[in-house]
Amino acid sequence: MNRRVLMLLLASLLLAVLLGQLNHYLGAWQLHVWCGGLFVTLAALRLDFRTGATTAFLAGLLLDAGSPVVFGTHALLFLAAHAVIFNARARAPRDETLVGVIIALLANLGLFLALSFLRIGAASAPGDAWMRNFADLALSQIVLALVAPWFFAIQIRTLQLGGVALRQNSRSLF
Amino acid sequence: MPQQRFDQAKPFLTLALVLAAWLVVPTAVKRFLRAGFFEMQAPVEATASYVRDLQDFWSLKTRSNNELIEAGRDLVHLNAAYEIRLQQDAGLRDEIERLGDLLKLPAPDGYRAEPARIVRRDFSGWWQQIVIRKGCNYGITEGAPVIYVGGVVGRVREVHAYTSVVDLISSPGVRIAACIEGDMRPISYQGGVNPTLAPARGTVEYVPVDIFVTPAAPRRLVTSGLGGVFPANLTIGYITGVEPSTDGLFKTGDVQLEPALSALTEVTVLVPQGPAAGK
Repeated sequence: MNRRVLMLLLASLLLAVLLGQLNHYLGAWQLHVWCGGLFVTLAALRLDFRTGATTAFLAGLLLDAGSPVVFGTHALLFLAAHAVIFNARARAPRDETLVGVIIALLANLGLFLALSFLRIGAASAPGDAWMRNFADLALSQIVLALVAPWFFAIQIRTLQLGGVALRQNSRSLF
Repeated sequence: MPQQRFDQAKPFLTLALVLAAWLVVPTAVKRFLRAGFFEMQAPVEATASYVRDLQDFWSLKTRSNNELIEAGRDLVHLNAAYEIRLQQDAGLRDEIERLGDLLKLPAPDGYRAEPARIVRRDFSGWWQQIVIRKGCNYGITEGAPVIYVGGVVGRVREVHAYTSVVDLISSPGVRIAACIEGDMRPISYQGGVNPTLAPARGTVEYVPVDIFVTPAAPRRLVTSGLGGVFPANLTIGYITGVEPSTDGLFKTGDVQLEPALSALTEVTVLVPQGPAAGK
């Protein structure tokens, strides 16, 4: 496996575990935080297509493994989000952290709604289920906005520790 | 210009190709990958749960001796009460066995109780599940019922090497054959909407029309024992209200689940033994 992918996958694993711990405590209040947008944003904005897409797909499989969804659901959704961000990245100052945070928020919003549409069929009262989902979405967006700069820094630092120069990498397209 | 268009379309072409390829990947490979990715995370989460237990241990160490003496005294009272119940239970079991022999009835299904600590709670609007710290290493089986002191917790969905995933009864889509306490007619329970900052709820269907329930006089909903998964008479929750269904033949209602279900730290898995193990 590509060293860049491995480094980013390690960072994704760290984020997944930390979010899992946060959700463990929030579960007592029936609250849930989901930050899927964070797993794809930096790789889609700053890395070449193959590395970013592979990282997004593997991070999705990581989340799929612990969720009662068809295996590959998160992975394909993340890949789709990666494709959209990658296509649009030339039009944004993508090295800016604030831009990254905004794109992560938008990606998270899209992914959350997509997953909600996929899961809403199982609910006995879809109207009430959407109310719960919107409450979780609002909390998730707040948490994402708070942790995104830290997670981007972790990802960049992890890549540097792995001997990857992000500046060179982000110039190449495919 | 065509080259630029191709470059722009390349991410989406790749997505389509991956989607097509993923659809034809054999199920065995997907199962292997799923297990692999789960086991990759399991040690980290199990370690976190051990650290939480250690935190609890040290916080309990700060309790004064007086508190411990009071707790010990309460436990002595409880143990005495349970000892009497155990003796009564043994007498009833002997009676059931004697009557079973007389009537030549098949032996009832047995269960081995396997207590397990909770590694992670995952309660979203999409699903409600917990990960427990016992798996294949303790003989946990898929579909095994999971209970706690307040009644039913759920059912084991996946068993891994050292952990298992349990679907909670509050999870949307989970269905259990149930009945109202004191009424043997079966009804259907389904996990429902779990509102934010409130206890989880479920719904019941096919409630007979002669059943009346009001929020002031809720009725206890228990497992019926039908379906062969859950033993009979385990508490699911309390029906707080029923209203006629659209066809008028039955009633539907809301079920209030125990608030403790959202803050569980330990559960018991009933591992089927005897005839039930083969089902």
